[in-house]
Amino acid sequence: MLSRVADSIYWMARYVERAENLSRLLLSTQDLLLDAGAEGVDEAQFWQPLLATTGDEEAYSKLHKKIKGKDVVEFLALRADNPNSMLNSIRAARENARTVRDQISDEIWESLNSLRLFVESAEGKTTHRMQSAAFYERVLRGSYQFQGIADSTTPRGEIWHFLRLGTCLERADKMSRLLDTCSGLSLELPPHAQARPLRWAALLRSCSAWHAFQAQHRRLDPSRIIAYLLLDETFPRSIACCVAEAQAALQSLCDDAGLQGMPAPLRHVGRLRADLAYTTVEEVLATGLHEYIDDLQSRLNQIGEAIFQTFVQHSEVSQLPEEAPVESTASGAYHAHADEDLQVQQQQQQQ
Amino acid sequence: MSSLFNDYQPESFFDEVFSKSGKARPHYEAMLDSVGSLTPSEYSARQKAVDAAFLRQGVTFTVYGDDQGTERIFPFDLMPRIIPQREWETVEAGLIQRITALNLFLDDIYHGQKIIADKAVPSELVLSASHYRPEFRGIKVPHGIYIHICGTDLVRDGKGDYYVLEDNGRCPSGASYMLENRNAMKRAFPGLLQQLPVRPVDAYGSMLRETLAHLAPSSVLDPVIVVLTPGIYNSAYFEHCYLAKQMGVPIVEGRDLIIRNDRVFMRTTKGLEQVHVIYRRIDDDFLDPLVFRKDSLLGVPGIINAYRKGHVALANSIGTGVADDKAVYALVPKMIKYYLDQDPILPNVTTHLGVDPKECSYILDNLDKLVVKAVNESGGYGMLMGPHASKKERSEFGERIRKNPRNYIAQPVLQLSRHPVFVDDHFEGRHIDLRPYVLCGDRVRVVPGGLTRVALKKGSLVVNSSQGGGSKDTWVLWDDPLTMPAEPTPAA
Repeated sequence: MLSRVADSIYWMARYVERAENLSRLLLSTQDLLLDAGAEGVDEAQFWQPLLATTGDEEAYSKLHKKIKGKDVVEFLALRADNPNSMLNSIRAARENARTVRDQISDEIWESLNSLRLFVESAEGKTTHRMQSAAFYERVLRGSYQFQGIADSTTPRGEIWHFLRLGTCLERADKMSRLLDTCSGLSLELPPHAQARPLRWAALLRSCSAWHAFQAQHRRLDPSRIIAYLLLDETFPRSIACCVAEAQAALQSLCDDAGLQGMPAPLRHVGRLRADLAYTTVEEVLATGLHEYIDDLQSRLNQIGEAIFQTFVQHSEVSQLPEEAPVESTASGAYHAHADEDLQVQQQQQQQ
Repeated sequence: MSSLFNDYQPESFFDEVFSKSGKARPHYEAMLDSVGSLTPSEYSARQKAVDAAFLRQGVTFTVYGDDQGTERIFPFDLMPRIIPQREWETVEAGLIQRITALNLFLDDIYHGQKIIADKAVPSELVLSASHYRPEFRGIKVPHGIYIHICGTDLVRDGKGDYYVLEDNGRCPSGASYMLENRNAMKRAFPGLLQQLPVRPVDAYGSMLRETLAHLAPSSVLDPVIVVLTPGIYNSAYFEHCYLAKQMGVPIVEGRDLIIRNDRVFMRTTKGLEQVHVIYRRIDDDFLDPLVFRKDSLLGVPGIINAYRKGHVALANSIGTGVADDKAVYALVPKMIKYYLDQDPILPNVTTHLGVDPKECSYILDNLDKLVVKAVNESGGYGMLMGPHASKKERSEFGERIRKNPRNYIAQPVLQLSRHPVFVDDHFEGRHIDLRPYVLCGDRVRVVPGGLTRVALKKGSLVVNSSQGGGSKDTWVLWDDPLTMPAEPTPAA
């Protein structure tokens, strides 16, 4: 498979997952606010963590002085000038799909194309204005549909492994940011048995873990929640599970490519998986949740970089014997800000 | 007769469906019976279903102009254009004759230039064509074929006679729409296609693949073929991807390719893999920054050298644009005479050359009656429709012609044939042309039918998609299903 194609498939999956996470986050924050509203709290403290999760605090502060729900929602959902907005994530997923249309099933392509047509349509914008929950649910369904179709139409070869890698690494990254937003919260349960730790409950909801967690642990004990989302390999959105899946995908890719020994991506992902398996939540808390996650994020980035180096840049793939190494190339995947000169030249060719 | 056509007016034009007396032409009868059984709302429901499917599937092209390109579906009119067997056989023979002469001409121009030495065509006219590539003279190309894929534009005049309007021997587009239009018709009118002996077009992918494989160096048993696209911002990107998928070959961008030892490789996740044949959809100018435009971001440095050495084949070859020059077009009948000693089966449209002083002053005196075209433009750009233009536009264009007469030609305004097109809830006549696709490999093959393009604007004669054109499916209708030529099996 072409290196650029691998890169685009990886990013296609990442952007779908990004849009999905954002939808769920917006939904659960709105719900949380409804619950908390009665308690009369400052709404900025509910919206600020969202900006932290997407890493867009700085970009937001350039546009708005104050953190207001309406502005944050608009910024994260539909703003065309926010490269990480849901709109742009869906566009980028779809553009990447377009560049690899010949490689993926028609059904995958149509599902992403339909989703993008919806979010850009007048109907989509009206839905978002009048009934934002219905809009987010549509995006969530679009992502589930994409994953279901991908699962049932993609042969279990390179394309599939790059798809899984993109999904798992994005999911792990977003989960780590989500956990980080709770790192400042008290780990003590509220004094009354009836009182619910709203933020912790919202955390579970924002990653679809509410029911799964409740089935395993009756009480919403914050340190149990952290352990579940970080270290429990049985829950599909936990970081441990994502890393385990990424490891399996990378193992297959390295085997297929005939890479000898222990290539960098496998080394990094294997070490991280072992660490997650042999770490207790008490140790995490002793290090400090924020500090632990900081380190985790840089290790996830290291894995992403190693994948790019190995499969796109060919730093380890065997070269023609008599030749110098292949010079490096930029990522060929579509991102919101592409090279304008390139676009103009691409447009000029026609007959 | 169908109520849908009761108020239809062929007017003074040559109408594809109805004769002057208002009677349906015989090859349209079965279809009119079938379409006629529909009410306007039933018909328009089918049309809408097809449009929605095209949008969902992303069967679109991109229109640029403002900052962000907008994707549109190529407007598609459900009522097919039908060409009867006898007419098609003439068209096919004419196209084969023409491409044969064009390839002989290109081989000659890039080698001995006998046609010029024999003064059968004027030397300065040919050698001044801006797409002539002198640096390519003397280079041997596989099997001496320069144009492998050709998309000739044909029109019919007020009498219904066919003429060649343009040859399009560089990177003609539109074949994917021909294929998708047929798929749409299969869904919208399945019964009709089953009932009528319509020649299938779905073998185009495998024919194209065979044509390309034929070019590979003979030492290579299982050649690696790729489609080279400028990228997703190109308006025809859908087509590049579609054709790659039809052929089952990778679609690559320039940055995916790299040259080693004058051989072309693509970067894959498993290392470098050699490429033998490239169906390139990038203009000559952008193909290799070492030879042509240095600022090209789309090309592959060194690819021309690899081609010169015969390690990779390009389709179409370099420098075919010289035959596309609209002034050189005027010489094609002479080429047919010179190389084949035949008269053209499909005539040219009368063409006045700006480069000839006498004809130039004729052009300038008759701007209000002529279509003037810049010799190197395509897609309906750089054109003056004299009778429809304002006085100011005409005098501005006249100025340009005076400044650079070699760059312009003029033709009489043809009253292109018309075809019924569904508008709101009824049919109206619109002008059409035809772009059949010709493939040149071990033999010349013409896909039966092609892309019928429609000028959707009332009264307009411009069919280009960038100028408000649409398309129709084109049915070549055989008299007897048992005598239909065997089509190759469709590609996977």
